[in-house]
Amino acid sequence: MHGSAGGAGAVLTRLDPQPRERIDRSAELTFSYRGKPVTAFDGDTIGSALYASGVRVFSRSFKYHRRRGLLCCSGACPNCMMTVDGVPNVRVCAEPARAGAVVHPQNVLGSIDRDLLSIVDRIGRPFTPVGFYYRTMIRPRRLWPTYERFLRNVAGLGRIDRHGVRTTRYDTEHRRVDVLVVGGGASGLRAAREAAAGGERVLLVDENPCAAPADGFDVVAPARALGIYEGGLVPVAAGTLLLRVRARRIVIATGAVEQPLVFPGNDLVGVMLPDGARRLVEDFALAPGDRAVVLAADDRALAVADVLRRAGVDVVASIDLRTDEPAKIEAAGRRGRLHGVTIDGAHHDCDLLVAAGTPQPAYSLLAQAGARVEYDTSRGVFCPTDLPPGIEAAGRVTGALGEVAPTRASHGGGFVCICEDVATKDLERALAEGFDSIELAKRYTTVTMGPCQGRLCHLSSIRLYARLQGAAEAAIGTTTARPPWAPVELGLLAGRSHEPAKRTALHARHEQAGAEIVWTGAWKRAHSYGDAAAEVRAVHEAAGVIDVSTLGKLLVTGPDAAAFLERLYPNRFADLKPGRVRYGVLSTDAGRIMDDGTVARLGEEQYYVTTTSTGSDSVHGWFEWWNASWGMDVEVVNLTGAVAAVNVAGPNARDLLAQATSADVSREALPYLAAREATVADVPCLILRIGFVGELGYELHFASPHAEHLWDTLVGLGATPFGLEAQRILRLEKQHIIVGQDTDSESNVLDAQMPWIVKFDKDDFVGKWALEHARARGPRELLVGFEMLDGVVPPEGSQVVRGGRPGGRVTSARWSERLERGIGLAWVPPEHAREDAELEIRVDGRLEHARVRLQPFYDPDGSQLRT
Amino acid sequence: MSELAFISPGAAPLVSPLARTLAGAAGIGDLSLLGKLEVRNADPGVLPDGASLIRISPERVLVLCPEGERAALKDVLPGFVVDLTAALAGIRVEGEPLLRRLTDLDLDRLPAAGKVAGVPALVTRDGERFDIFFAQEYGASVVELVRDVQEGLA
Repeated sequence: MHGSAGGAGAVLTRLDPQPRERIDRSAELTFSYRGKPVTAFDGDTIGSALYASGVRVFSRSFKYHRRRGLLCCSGACPNCMMTVDGVPNVRVCAEPARAGAVVHPQNVLGSIDRDLLSIVDRIGRPFTPVGFYYRTMIRPRRLWPTYERFLRNVAGLGRIDRHGVRTTRYDTEHRRVDVLVVGGGASGLRAAREAAAGGERVLLVDENPCAAPADGFDVVAPARALGIYEGGLVPVAAGTLLLRVRARRIVIATGAVEQPLVFPGNDLVGVMLPDGARRLVEDFALAPGDRAVVLAADDRALAVADVLRRAGVDVVASIDLRTDEPAKIEAAGRRGRLHGVTIDGAHHDCDLLVAAGTPQPAYSLLAQAGARVEYDTSRGVFCPTDLPPGIEAAGRVTGALGEVAPTRASHGGGFVCICEDVATKDLERALAEGFDSIELAKRYTTVTMGPCQGRLCHLSSIRLYARLQGAAEAAIGTTTARPPWAPVELGLLAGRSHEPAKRTALHARHEQAGAEIVWTGAWKRAHSYGDAAAEVRAVHEAAGVIDVSTLGKLLVTGPDAAAFLERLYPNRFADLKPGRVRYGVLSTDAGRIMDDGTVARLGEEQYYVTTTSTGSDSVHGWFEWWNASWGMDVEVVNLTGAVAAVNVAGPNARDLLAQATSADVSREALPYLAAREATVADVPCLILRIGFVGELGYELHFASPHAEHLWDTLVGLGATPFGLEAQRILRLEKQHIIVGQDTDSESNVLDAQMPWIVKFDKDDFVGKWALEHARARGPRELLVGFEMLDGVVPPEGSQVVRGGRPGGRVTSARWSERLERGIGLAWVPPEHAREDAELEIRVDGRLEHARVRLQPFYDPDGSQLRT
Repeated sequence: MSELAFISPGAAPLVSPLARTLAGAAGIGDLSLLGKLEVRNADPGVLPDGASLIRISPERVLVLCPEGERAALKDVLPGFVVDLTAALAGIRVEGEPLLRRLTDLDLDRLPAAGKVAGVPALVTRDGERFDIFFAQEYGASVVELVRDVQEGLA
């Protein structure tokens, strides 16, 4: 009867070929378990191959570290979770065996055979009642770090390598179909065939790797639907691929889940669910035991007795719970393995106990979709009802279970939840402590919160609670069904390790120049080219060039363009002459600083607006929103990506630019705050004569495909590339603010010391009302410059201290080589916002001395800019 | 009124934003230097041979044309016309399986706007051929992902 196929230290014992077996006996493969080779057939799961090689104890339980063996053989229960190739919590009963896989038990201290933490089961139970962690290990408080270390070591399942790197390629695929069928059993297949015959695009998802062949529809298997989200979105885990399926109609045919009976010893190795035993025999040609007792409550489960007999198992008793339900069942074992069962006093020696109550329809996905769930007293299960539009159910999930009857909630006590080691006495204690709602009991006892997510304990815990309270199951209700319905790797949810990045048209040039590239918002920018201080010197003493293509750039054009900007900004722009530039600050309705930049008037009805690098999208949206609201005759065009920009700055900037253009860039022809269109290095440019970095400067704006050509020309003429760090030092020397760095969501232009921006005499502008109130109220704090007196540069965010109390915060600080001191900007109380006021700034716990400076540190009268 | 010459590619040397990331890539065409004109508040009328359009909204149309015909076409198109040639990069790829891993757009209802490779994009379809347009600053990021997905499908 039994054949044998051995290999490399493994003992493989198989039945004669079974009619529907999944294994290919002609193809062997080898993987390792606990460092030793195990031989498997193609088609085996890791679990079936281990079982064939003699392994019976597959895991240790979560809390008490009790021995656990195969139970469901379908990937539903926690009993076979192991670490495979470094991935913890893999249910090996459903994980295909693959050559070279490295498999280890988990959640053990020592070995799976001798787990030192099983001491909790032997002597620790009185000290670890339900919810003990809420009440113990609290005092003395000084020992908490020790407690925490211990708890973190013993809690959780499996270990991950915190220093590991991603080795698996996870991907996401979007599918749109007319009909999605979840479940490839008879009902699911029928639904799929009917829909396909009707000309609909059908996708069937089944967790069984051997789904029936498709007949005019697509099949994804093995795969599991994780949930049903708004709009009919169903994420499906298919190995390392996450399918995001959107369907017009969803048919749930997930069948029913066999329910373990609750009795003493119901977690012993050798206690199995009927379908688990059936799978071992029919799929993998393995005998699950030698001597069996079968207890079941439906025909399908009872039929397993015949399957076992055909496999040569001696079935010593087969009891139909619908007609002969015992009051008491007690399984006994040695070293965690079943040796016999006593049923209402009648003892049977056995090494296999196949036991299950009435199967529970697997309604979770339907409930997630909005279906109601009602308790059916005649069958003793919860059934879905009131399905929402677009959601259908087929087969056993509807409650069509055949002839079934309710079984007892408990046959003498035992584990209700094998995932979390929650026993009947734990639920009794929770109830005694006042947790009378099943939702509260769930949180307190963690019943249904383990890896099976209630598949095997939801029904029994509710029925037990009903019995303990003397209430109807319908009154107890169910806990909320939430995704994911099936376990899923976080890596699969995270998807590809790709974050979209914006790069300027000069990105390659920065990389070629060896720049350190950093994220700034969604942009990747050059932080420095190796020596920021040298870059600062180049700008101060000669000429530098920086890529400022990241600036937002908006074209505002139309007859109402001037009026539009007048309404948007606190500034005045209607009087700005064509060819001139003005600095502007946008305020929100609440008067808070939203963004800043320059506004150049290109014509009577045309303005070119720049924004901060991170603010372009929000400012564009802000402009479009107000334009739609006001209905003005204005077009707003976002040119951020279309137009690249570089800033050439330094005392030699004019001479350098003059070599690249035939246009007159003299002081007279192109004065400070002028805007001109001109051709530079054969590239049509808009030149803005402005200076964020404090030196004579020209911002060139031009079509981005020309960026490398123009950059190369300017660098070739002697401009030194400088990056963000140099720019930050230079602008700080001028006390130019950076919105978002030096301001926050509470800052307004008055407190930021820019009252000249606000034209209160305008009829209206966004934020006027709020700024009028801010002016009337007076400032709460003001933004000022400061210089350090002792060579220290405080970290940004440092606390400003006055009289021993917090009195402000540093927003920016840098070392200025030119000034030979640390400088910065800080928010301080109004009474300290005066020239020479002394501040103390906390740096590394020490108080360092600083002095307020209200004027720019460098070129306070702006003569360098205007030169 | 400015003619806004500075927003349009001119006679000076041009570099496609995808030039470097597409180096050595197979199965990805570069549409970045294709002429792209946005027309607002007007029907562009009959377009010359080689030009096509994508309707973005009831009031907005994107006209695509060979780069050499862009300037001339810009002068004759009605309404408010903006040259977005430099603003939008574009790629041409083939195969639904690839697109299914890049976007959740309904591929049977194109052209449409939505996210492709994680960035806002406009997608058109001709049989198994898909043209995807997106902000040029995302160009390298999109191509990197497309190549990665191609590798995963291979």
